[in-house]
Amino acid sequence: MTRRELLSRYALGAGAWALDAAPLPHAKPRARSVIFLFMEGGPSQLDLLDAKPALRKYDGQPLPESMRAGLRFAFIQPGASVWASARHFQPRGQSGIEMSDWMPHLATQADRLSVIRSMVSDQVNHVPGQLLLQCGSPLPGRPSLGAWTLYGLGSEARDLPGFVVLFSGRAPQASGGIYTSGFLPGTYQGTPFRDSGDAVLHLSNPTGVGRADQRRKLDLIGDLNRQHQADTGDPETESRIQAYELAFRMQAAVPGLLDLSAEPAEVKARYGPGRFAQNCLMARRLVERGVRFVLVSHASWDDHADLNKNHALNCRLTDRPAAALLEDLHARGLLDSTLVVWGGEFGRTPLVQQEKPGRDEAKGRDHHPYAFSMWLAGGGIRPGQVIGRTDDFGLSVVEDKVEVHDLQATILHCLGLDHEKLTFRTQGRDFRLTDVGGVLLRKLLA
Amino acid sequence: MLTTSRALAFLLVMAPACAEEFFEKQVRPLFASRCAGCHGGKKPMAGLDFSTTEGLRQASGLFSEPSRLIAVLGYEDRVKMPPTGKLPAAELDTLRVWISRGAPLPPAPPQASESGPRRNHWAFQPVAKVEPPPVRRSAWVRSPIDAFILAKLESHRLSPAAPAGKLTLLRRVTYDLTGLPPSLAEIEAFTLDSSPEAYEKVVDRLLASPRYGERWGRHWLDVARYAESTGADEDRVYPFAWRYRDYVVEAFNRDLPYDQFVREQIAGDLLPPPAGEAIHTRGIVATGFLALGPKLLAEVDRTKMLYDVVDEQIDTMSRAFLGLSIACARCHDHKFDPITTRDYYSLASILVSTRQFQRLEGGAAQLLYVPLVDEEIAQKWRRHALREQHLKQESELFIQRENARFLMAHQARVADYMLATRDPERAASLDPSILKKWVAYLNSGKDSRPYLAEWYRDPSPGTAAAYQKRFTDQALSWQAGIERWASEVEEARKNEEEAPMRPRIPAGPDRFFPDVALAGAGPLGIPEKERPQRFAPEPMARYQAAQAELKALEKTRPPEPPLACGVREGKAVTQHVFIRGNPANPGEEVPKRLPAILAGERQAEIRAGSGRRELAEFMGSPANPLTARVMVNRIWQGHFGTGLVATASNFGSMGEKPSHPELLNYLAAELVRRGWSVKAMHRLMVLSNTYQMSSLATPAQQAVDPAGRHYSRFPRRRLAAEEVRDSLLAVSGTIDFSTEGSHDDVREAIPVFMQEKRLGQDPDKSRRRTLYVPLRRSNVPAFLTLFDFGDASTTGDGRGESTIAPQALYLMNSPFLTGRASELAKSLLPLTPKGRVERAYLLIAGRPPSTREIDAALGYVAAFPDVADLTGWTSLCRALFASNLFLYVM
Repeated sequence: MTRRELLSRYALGAGAWALDAAPLPHAKPRARSVIFLFMEGGPSQLDLLDAKPALRKYDGQPLPESMRAGLRFAFIQPGASVWASARHFQPRGQSGIEMSDWMPHLATQADRLSVIRSMVSDQVNHVPGQLLLQCGSPLPGRPSLGAWTLYGLGSEARDLPGFVVLFSGRAPQASGGIYTSGFLPGTYQGTPFRDSGDAVLHLSNPTGVGRADQRRKLDLIGDLNRQHQADTGDPETESRIQAYELAFRMQAAVPGLLDLSAEPAEVKARYGPGRFAQNCLMARRLVERGVRFVLVSHASWDDHADLNKNHALNCRLTDRPAAALLEDLHARGLLDSTLVVWGGEFGRTPLVQQEKPGRDEAKGRDHHPYAFSMWLAGGGIRPGQVIGRTDDFGLSVVEDKVEVHDLQATILHCLGLDHEKLTFRTQGRDFRLTDVGGVLLRKLLA
Repeated sequence: MLTTSRALAFLLVMAPACAEEFFEKQVRPLFASRCAGCHGGKKPMAGLDFSTTEGLRQASGLFSEPSRLIAVLGYEDRVKMPPTGKLPAAELDTLRVWISRGAPLPPAPPQASESGPRRNHWAFQPVAKVEPPPVRRSAWVRSPIDAFILAKLESHRLSPAAPAGKLTLLRRVTYDLTGLPPSLAEIEAFTLDSSPEAYEKVVDRLLASPRYGERWGRHWLDVARYAESTGADEDRVYPFAWRYRDYVVEAFNRDLPYDQFVREQIAGDLLPPPAGEAIHTRGIVATGFLALGPKLLAEVDRTKMLYDVVDEQIDTMSRAFLGLSIACARCHDHKFDPITTRDYYSLASILVSTRQFQRLEGGAAQLLYVPLVDEEIAQKWRRHALREQHLKQESELFIQRENARFLMAHQARVADYMLATRDPERAASLDPSILKKWVAYLNSGKDSRPYLAEWYRDPSPGTAAAYQKRFTDQALSWQAGIERWASEVEEARKNEEEAPMRPRIPAGPDRFFPDVALAGAGPLGIPEKERPQRFAPEPMARYQAAQAELKALEKTRPPEPPLACGVREGKAVTQHVFIRGNPANPGEEVPKRLPAILAGERQAEIRAGSGRRELAEFMGSPANPLTARVMVNRIWQGHFGTGLVATASNFGSMGEKPSHPELLNYLAAELVRRGWSVKAMHRLMVLSNTYQMSSLATPAQQAVDPAGRHYSRFPRRRLAAEEVRDSLLAVSGTIDFSTEGSHDDVREAIPVFMQEKRLGQDPDKSRRRTLYVPLRRSNVPAFLTLFDFGDASTTGDGRGESTIAPQALYLMNSPFLTGRASELAKSLLPLTPKGRVERAYLLIAGRPPSTREIDAALGYVAAFPDVADLTGWTSLCRALFASNLFLYVM
């Protein structure tokens, strides 16, 4: 992209909110939108997607000395004992992807998704790990995946923000950093839908002001601005007038978007109860309306203690809705054009973290960035396969290591964007989401 | 596969993008592990040396596409390598990527001295004295600046725009210098003053206003990436960040010479105190510039963390003062500018020899707070606090040593006790009270303790003996740890440093020793009430004396002195180049010195201290051509929207070239000539005709100078986030102009070391200027972000001006804006309807309305049920606030 184009995008501004940012696929896109189910805190791959029966043999014992070299965890020592998962795994669907009994609903979608068991990150702590996964760098200040996507492709949603963020769960640690526009223009940042008050900040009219009043005020603002434009010849004024019109349309569109009463009962039932379920349904509705990127964040999987209890709860809250989302997207013919990504900033250790000796039910697992699992489905993904393999302890990757930048490069690729060409010049050099990394994960692609 | 350490991988992820890093991170390790075993060393096989860059360079024929190397490694050639088996596909992919990019290798090592075009880059040249150029239309030249601007315009056959209208100019200069709109009284006074000096008087009034420092201090706080918490993982509050903020505001208000401002922010703590004062309070506070950056406090590898902090400081400092990105040289010589890794680590050497933390170890590193009182008083406070801390550790030491003595006396009977819990016959020679505890411990029903499983399975003498052996081993090693700790405590006492905490037993599956020996309820643990009977009398007496002294000390503890978040001198460190940024891979030793391209190869040796003082002298010296250039450019940018160099923090060869190089030179020389007075620069700029032009472009200007880079007219701009909010408060008459101090009254009551507290967030609840709103790095208030505030994590070089729908929602609906509009409307009601419209326009747009505008406004309000009613007028004010009349400075 040339500097001139870039400046004009910046000035036009409303790009992320309407069709007017010239779409820029570098190649034929396979997916039009992304729904990222962000499992904040780090779900335990060993209890969900990466069965390690060999751990049973070592359960309760420390790792063999030879395996401990170089291990570094956030809290526990490498000498901690092995903790085998109590979950029951079995092959699912035609593809035979193994999943645990904590994901009975996702199991029905096994042939629609692909699991990566060989994800690696180099960040042991949450915030840097989340920033790496969502923004490509452990340091703050870089644009998020959603912002880059919007910057590259603009949005097709006429009345809605192009990048929406939905939250559920408890004790989230993620900050605005995971949906920031970083050094990109503010147009590209994610718009969080809030769960109390206005869903979008300042969406409602002030108290006592009706829609007709608001329209009249908007017309006055429009008149003032047009006069201003006539007086000054400032072309920016037109963008501002458009921004107001879009805001006004949003005021009308968002309540309709949020109103689920028209959804058939069986659809709602398929997603099940709870905030995450609502958010998954909302994600589908957003994508249907042309929204480019939906970040659905669920917190927290950070179970250093009481893992069995808390993970079971999180699975009850998320398994059915995630599966319903795939089913629903498929039923509406949207799955081919929507890329769905599921995963957290890292996984959890095969070694136990036990703060209360003697209380077995309080066992937990520490952060484990050296080998963890994610799954992807939909636009551009070849379904029904498992990528990568970890060693018998689940400690490290032995085949097809996938770094975070590789995943990001692949997500952009599905959208028709070349991660090496999608750059933004700031501070005297070109920046990109994948920094100096990123190898396309061809095996994953359809 | 890849053998790079995780630390290195982290560094590389952080470092700027370039082909060399891809090579170092992914390609070189692969050659090293897969090929160099045979193709390396003294006699590389087939004459191919894959172990060095030079060797690879000589083999580069293998890498040009179609690459023989790929064929060989892909087992598609007659030769198949490596002979032990084909490489994994991912590694082949890595090499394919590298080759597809032209197989770039790091450049050959630099020759003795940098030469050639890079050294000749304009920004490194001395600031030469420049005379303003001759122009045809000399009558237009009011200030030397105008000559430079006009010369360029004339060379493009352009003429400057007409002068701006009087009230347009008043509004422009008032916002530019104070970030606020002119008041009614100011508008009236200026309108009535028809003297030729009227405008100059306004400028002097504004420069003398305390509001000036708040506006221009905020510009600097962007550069200093100012925020009040550490961001990243812990996001701990910097409880005294506000002192630095107030220092910056004050520095601008008192027109502290810029060279002094620079020196104080790097080494203010080391400068001689002002006459009559014992310490340089202002200087210490100023080092907040270095101290207030983002920090990963809980990073497990503390060495790496320290060097990350230093890197962040080098980056901020070099871009802020020099307009150079020196931090690029952390892993390799700078790709575009003549900065070497030697230069980088020479600077790093200065900053690691600077004390950055109170304590680096522990769960999260502890921030450093520097006392702002006489050394004597500070010493007294610190000694008192240290004495308390040492006494606490020493008391603990008495206890642990007695514990150890007791354990040593009993360790040989562990097996006896265990067996006696099952066989009362064996109890004869044992202490009944201890045995009772063993019974409770072993029969507590807590059979899920995995380390006791063996005992429950087979409670035989053999098993008990094995447990006893484990116990004795651990007890000995624990006792040794206590003795090591004892000597560390002693050492700390001698050095007047904080004593380390008692060593912890590492968490592990075998809790037998800690549960038995160290838990108060353990069979060999000694709860506090048993101490008098179990401990020897002499240590017990010393323990009790220590406790009594501690209690007395707590009573006489001096009050906490005022503190600042700053840095101090640390232990001088001998620094090495870290090869590819990896602290575990030290290369040649580097002296503490300044970048050679700026300070020359021959520099006086820095023998004592960290070298921060010498660095400060250099940064604030006219001999360094960048400092003055970069600052005048920032001032220019503050007035004209874009700098003469558009990349205000990058004057290197990848930055933009100056649009008016002679003018930049002239201004830089003027700054130095006028004693580095920033206010003198403001006067020079805003009194020029260039500044006083209209912002309206003629079609000719639009065609020849579409972006305004020739300054054919004044560039209009949108209000910054702070200006939007501050204006709402000012216009509604509800602004609170109190300055200085912590925004957080509660803080004073809370001890400094309780840092877990989060900063308050809601700027809507405050009436103070936005500058004083708490700024938490990981969660910048949504309102600020909405209007392009930026992220407060990296040094800023100017704000964006986006136009987005969420801004429209804010301007239409936010309760804060609605509230201010209603307050304004209330203040209008006593006037006639026409008078109300006139006043609203004066306050919001800085000018009276036209007849047409009055009619439109009255028509708008008339549609509401009652003209006397607040609703219609509030709505009108909201519409005016939401319009470009308000949002733009023309």
